[in-house]
Amino acid sequence: MTDAPDKVFDGIRVADFAWVGVGPLVSKYLADHGAEVIRIESSVRPEPLRRAPPFVNDEPGLDHSGYYADFNSSKQCVSLNLQHPDGVTIAKRLIAQCDIVTESFTPKAMRAWGMTYEDLCAVRPDLIMIEMPMYGLSGPWAMWQGYGHVLQAAAGISHLTAYPGEEPIGTGVAYTDFLVPHFAAAALIAALDHRQRTGQGQNIDFGQMEAAIHATETMVLDYTVNGREQQALGAGHPMHAIYGTYQCAPRSGEIGGDDDDRWIAITISNDAELTALGDLAGQPAWTSLDPAVVETELAAWVRTQQAEDLMRRLQAVGVPAGVVQTPEDLRSDPQLAHRGHFWMLDHPAMGRRAYDGPSFRLSETPGELTKAAPLLGADNERVYKDIVGLSDEEYIGHLVSGAFD
Amino acid sequence: MPDTPGPLAPFRVIDLTNELGQLAGRMLADLGTEVIKLEPPGGDESRFIGPFRGDVVDPELSLHWWTFNSNKLSATLDLTSPRGQQLFNQLLSSADFLIETCPPDAAAALGLGVETIRASHPSLVHTSITPFGRDGPYAHWKATDLVGTAMGGLSSLCGAPGRPPIRPTASQAYTQASAQAVVGTLIAQYQRTKSGRGQHVDQSMQEAVTFTHDNAMPTWDIRRINNERPGNGRQIGGYKSGQYVFEAADGYVACLSYGGLFGLTARQTVDWLDSHGMAGDLTSDEWLAKLDATQGLLAPPSGADSEYLNAVLSDFCKRFTRAQLVAEAQQIRNGWGIVHTPKDLLANEHLRAREYWAEIEHEDAHVTYPGPWARLSETPLSVRHRAPRIGEHNFYVYGNLLGHSDDDIMALSAEGLI
Repeated sequence: MTDAPDKVFDGIRVADFAWVGVGPLVSKYLADHGAEVIRIESSVRPEPLRRAPPFVNDEPGLDHSGYYADFNSSKQCVSLNLQHPDGVTIAKRLIAQCDIVTESFTPKAMRAWGMTYEDLCAVRPDLIMIEMPMYGLSGPWAMWQGYGHVLQAAAGISHLTAYPGEEPIGTGVAYTDFLVPHFAAAALIAALDHRQRTGQGQNIDFGQMEAAIHATETMVLDYTVNGREQQALGAGHPMHAIYGTYQCAPRSGEIGGDDDDRWIAITISNDAELTALGDLAGQPAWTSLDPAVVETELAAWVRTQQAEDLMRRLQAVGVPAGVVQTPEDLRSDPQLAHRGHFWMLDHPAMGRRAYDGPSFRLSETPGELTKAAPLLGADNERVYKDIVGLSDEEYIGHLVSGAFD
Repeated sequence: MPDTPGPLAPFRVIDLTNELGQLAGRMLADLGTEVIKLEPPGGDESRFIGPFRGDVVDPELSLHWWTFNSNKLSATLDLTSPRGQQLFNQLLSSADFLIETCPPDAAAALGLGVETIRASHPSLVHTSITPFGRDGPYAHWKATDLVGTAMGGLSSLCGAPGRPPIRPTASQAYTQASAQAVVGTLIAQYQRTKSGRGQHVDQSMQEAVTFTHDNAMPTWDIRRINNERPGNGRQIGGYKSGQYVFEAADGYVACLSYGGLFGLTARQTVDWLDSHGMAGDLTSDEWLAKLDATQGLLAPPSGADSEYLNAVLSDFCKRFTRAQLVAEAQQIRNGWGIVHTPKDLLANEHLRAREYWAEIEHEDAHVTYPGPWARLSETPLSVRHRAPRIGEHNFYVYGNLLGHSDDDIMALSAEGLI
């Protein structure tokens, strides 16, 4: 026996209707800290990420997507066809046994099913429901759909992510999918804490765009106060002359070869750092040269250096520097390994795979990825019988009629 | 101090963060907590981060300070002195949260050691935000935002092939570290509500950036392929799609639909182009067959086919405004969007209809800020007041909260402690 405390969200049950990136990443926080998160999906209109690569063995299949798996650790899954005549009734019986409902459809879906917050309060008065459409529950764009690749553009982030003077390419990822879930989770957990203290549930209208704008630093105020539209600076920073990514020598030593894509970030914030950099490069004169000249000479010097080795030597003399790490690099990064970022979990169809864990460590109640992502409908029998309370006959009847498709 | 309507209204936060963590305190303040930003006498270093109002370098005119410290109070304190440490501990006794960004090797000297704080304040939630975490082989290394986006893997996915990796020119490593630290902090808060006990939350900036990889880690794990910098293309599972940002008549549009431009809605897209007489050869049986074949995402158009598709779309988009293109695209369930500039955002009809923007009163002006980042029906978030001036709330903090007399406070000030 240990006297370890219960898991943080022990006893909290979540009906997770959300799909793709934002919603599943919110419920992942809850699941990885002990909540019972039940994903409600359907084979009739599958969760899009289940159909997105990478697939194990490059074979498409609803239980083969590594993309889906990474976002859905520690969760359970039932299949339920909400278009079936009994679908909504069963969903509401499940929600009556849940503390939280999450969803991320455009607002028309829950209205069409009669599952708005008001509808669901009738079956669960202290419910907390978080709705996370791209543009929020109201307003002229409420019914618009989109993806994180597009929302980074709509929120102003892509405007700031480009080579100087060039087209706004944005980040190379669906960036807001990995940004706004933190804001949504903060709002949701705060609401849950409020309920724990007062008994009061509530609805959260989480417009993804409205949260994403908070990631544009001073872009809004520079415009509203100074009338200035900030511009993208590549890797650069408006307040630092030396702040960039510089190409290193390829590991093989062959310039122009396949592996000639090693880069390091180096940033200089003060004279002491510039002195240390110049001394290491054998260029003590850098402290008195024009920064543009220093940049050119720095780039030429870095091109002859191995990235990891240069990073260690720069950090040893107090210069902020870091390799532009690839996915492969991250998997062998000693600091991430020390913190146990990646969890190896066994999946019935995909085998042993790496999953991302939370990026913070709680000293007393740390997160734990308890299992790999669920197979579609893996928990039907237990959830529908033990939680929803269907009899064996009812369960078989719904199964045969296609309610669980 | 007035009551706030937010879900965390009963709680107080001591905020000792620099630019790495200032958004965390701001988010907690938006949630209704009373956040006291502690600054060294003379003012916090982040007051000197630009841009400044009217480009006048002044610690009270930094827009960076305004953005990240509105809704907070300010008290000054010299943490390096024994008397300062004593006052700090009194403050912690009155607080529910401490968030700080102290470098791990300097924490003990400033009274910020994890065990020290646990021993004196067992019910406090203590959150540390550091570049790499409080311990481990890189714990003592230095990192700016760019070093964070590089070491966390985001920069390897930003920029164009053969050109330098880039970062958004708005600090995302700091943003990610701060926002995720708030989640960790609130998980600890919920546990405290149940148990009465606090704990330490150790947030790493590098690790916060790591899970911005999208699908790059499972792609490496399963396929042993590194997703790369896609430039003005996209990639999923190591498969590359065509162009994604196009120039319209009045700016840019972002044209991804699920699985790339010609993914699941390829037929509808061709019909749409054709309705404007601009589908080119795409209505031919040969092309329709090719486009149908891309629906599984695993065989996107490449080479000359890709170039032709990009050319057709480029010609099409140039003819119309962004609003026309996106409104029509949405009708066929293509999730296109407008690439907003700051000016566009502030004029945006949707955000205005939702009354998103917050007007905050400054001494001599009203300033428009981004509004609440979530809408809670019973305990709304709020953007209540401007960022504080240096030590603006010293009398409230040392007088009302800690019970010192006005004379005591003047004496502390004369000693240079506050």
